[in-house]
Amino acid sequence: MKWVIEAEDVYYEYEGGGLALDGVTLRVAKGEILAIMGENGAGKTTLVKHFNGLLKPQRGRVVVLGMDTRHTPVSALARHVGMVFQNPDFQLFAETVEDEIKFALRNFGFPEDVIEKRAEWALKIFGLEKYRERSPYTLSIGERKRLSIAAVLSYDPDIVILDEPTSGQDFLQKEKLTELLYLMKQQGKTVIIVTHDVEFAVRRSDRIVVMKAGKILAEGPPKKVLSDVRLIKEARLKPPQIIETAHTLTSRGIMVSRDNYPATSYELIRALGLGEDI
Amino acid sequence: MSLLQGFMYLPKKTYLHRLDPRSKAFMLAFYSVASILILNPLLLVLLVISNIPLAIIAKSLGRWVKTMKSIVFFAVLIFALNLLTSVTWNVEYALTMAARFVALTSAFSIFFLTTTPEDLALALEAGGVSREYSLMITMSLRFVPTLARDLQIVIDAYRSRGSKLDAKGLLNKVKAYTTLLTPLVVFEVRRSLMVAEALEARAFGATGKPTLYKRVKMTGEDYAFSLLWVALLVVIIALKITGVLY
Amino acid sequence: MPIVELRNLYFSYEGSAKPALKNINLVIDRGEFIVLTGPSGCGKSTLCRVLNGLIPHFYRGRLSGQALVAGLDVKETPTYILARHVGMVFQNPENQLFLSTVERELAFGLENLGLPEEDIERRVKQALDYFGLTDLRDRPPYLLSGGQQQKVAIAAVMIMEPELLILDEPTANLDPVSAEEILELLEKLRKEKDISVLLVEHRLELVLRYATRLLIMREGEIIADGPPERVILTEHANIVGIPPVVEVYKILSDTRYALKNIPLTPSDLASEIEAVVKREVGH
Repeated sequence: MKWVIEAEDVYYEYEGGGLALDGVTLRVAKGEILAIMGENGAGKTTLVKHFNGLLKPQRGRVVVLGMDTRHTPVSALARHVGMVFQNPDFQLFAETVEDEIKFALRNFGFPEDVIEKRAEWALKIFGLEKYRERSPYTLSIGERKRLSIAAVLSYDPDIVILDEPTSGQDFLQKEKLTELLYLMKQQGKTVIIVTHDVEFAVRRSDRIVVMKAGKILAEGPPKKVLSDVRLIKEARLKPPQIIETAHTLTSRGIMVSRDNYPATSYELIRALGLGEDI
Repeated sequence: MSLLQGFMYLPKKTYLHRLDPRSKAFMLAFYSVASILILNPLLLVLLVISNIPLAIIAKSLGRWVKTMKSIVFFAVLIFALNLLTSVTWNVEYALTMAARFVALTSAFSIFFLTTTPEDLALALEAGGVSREYSLMITMSLRFVPTLARDLQIVIDAYRSRGSKLDAKGLLNKVKAYTTLLTPLVVFEVRRSLMVAEALEARAFGATGKPTLYKRVKMTGEDYAFSLLWVALLVVIIALKITGVLY
Repeated sequence: MPIVELRNLYFSYEGSAKPALKNINLVIDRGEFIVLTGPSGCGKSTLCRVLNGLIPHFYRGRLSGQALVAGLDVKETPTYILARHVGMVFQNPENQLFLSTVERELAFGLENLGLPEEDIERRVKQALDYFGLTDLRDRPPYLLSGGQQQKVAIAAVMIMEPELLILDEPTANLDPVSAEEILELLEKLRKEKDISVLLVEHRLELVLRYATRLLIMREGEIIADGPPERVILTEHANIVGIPPVVEVYKILSDTRYALKNIPLTPSDLASEIEAVVKREVGH
């Protein structure tokens, strides 16, 4: 199966008004890292909540790994679609770190020996072994964020959704997150990231979807999407620094305009032909 | 969620919204006293029904009806508890208790739907309550929608980890709700700390007598409205004393 | 007189052996725009809370050394007096907006200070004007957009006319355009009201262009303090993430295409590269 998620013409309106999704059609390919971007209120979080069945489309349909979400309970979808919410504190349900990691595994009815193995793996990979007996609330905010991700990855979902994973994170934490993304990619998982962070998205994602007012404005390769000046403006985003530099250089005739602007420092230097000594 | 929304200010431009909260307090006084004095469950139901025109005037009928629907569960619970704990199988008494609960909730809902937390606080402060207490009330009300939203996020996160909310059996239900409430309570306690910091940063507590920038004034409409309810209050007490009312 | 004078400052939270602040020496004058950054847990927020008196009055612990704010000793001065000199805006607007209209929110701090009604009315009107909030005066702050909320939060603090405005990651939850609007507002305030701004932020690529000074903290200590162009090139900056435009400067610095000046914005970088290219073409 090529598409792990197929959303067809999805409409969703919250009780009390507010059309959150106004005819969204989107297909997510297996193994891709997809970034969903747009201003607050564009519908990003509403859309991803359809991917594990928390919300059911009022019109249209969403098919996840062959399952129609309208006819599948959340617990069945959640087994394959892990969601990490922005605020880790809303996702800590157990009395110890170890139990937190085992929480979902137990819910899904994994055999005890598998639970042990998976928990050990997660504790190790996320550097949480020394905290295993502690209450999640005694950890620092960065550690709680790691724990919230560990608790989802421990049960090995095929699809992982991260809501604003870089928000409030320092540089080193973002580096760790990047490592994690590559680990998930290696494992063949599909990753969906809801984010505002253009620098992160342009470097780490395979494809970007831009939303506004409940609709998809555009989608495509990261550099292409974030080089589109009009689109960026309409979506209330800012271009990544290197792309913005390239725009200015092009308008001054120093660079030749392309479809795909350079997005990293090295790409810019090479595009300018200044890279021989490096 | 609907229950919480029944006590949130619903901005509209109506007669009831314009009234000073003190006038509406007289209305509440009538309903409170009446619901205690009246023992006949049918009359209590009539008391609830008398809120309907008020809800219509407040253009909040839809919201009020939703609130009434959501408290049915609690009313039934009160009925059952009273029935089971009474020495003689006193159905009428249990009905009275349930109806009294509904009548009180209904009246308070109308009050809070039409009164901003601030106006309430201002009225209290004008009446001599200190800023600390009035702010406590205002802020509790102001954060009700925030708490409701956060609760929804916790529920979403809970379900996303494979937990089911429709657990069978009372014990399992209690267990589920405790698990859910823990992260919420911890977070909201933390939030209260952050709110306290922000209050300090706005010089809260600098003087014992903060200025009251906005005032609530009693108008002619207010006096008329208050008089109506005071009159009804007097009538109902009189009826009770003379034994006419049951 | 400097707004802030910290000398040999140490602080440990009650019940904690490890110091949260170690040997802090910091002087802040009027008109500075300081960006304070560092890894999570380095003490940035702790330092901010000393400046408005939350430490030691709200958070107990051992505070030693000298801490003067607007000439007042922080250890001896209650927070409500310090609040007139140091304004603080927090990351989450929700937790600092308590009332049900913007107008009342702005008036709140002045009410607490006991200012007479006419003064409050005048200052509220001025603030609504200055911050472009007049149309929103009767709206509930918690229903506004994130960017608008932070604007109200800033206005509600600035109305008390502090000399120093501290902001703890104020744009963390905002979309990029709203974030920039807030930062532009801060720069405008600094210039027009002659205040100092202390901004705690991780995303240096967003804020470095406004900074007159960059402070890096680590494990309770200030490990770098100086003009942003200089500090960003030190080895200390490696733990906080270097903006992409500065990265370009660094990569080219050992080559024949070295840029003349350190760029802090894409526009700076474009100009620097243009100069280098023209120089090359000229040969």
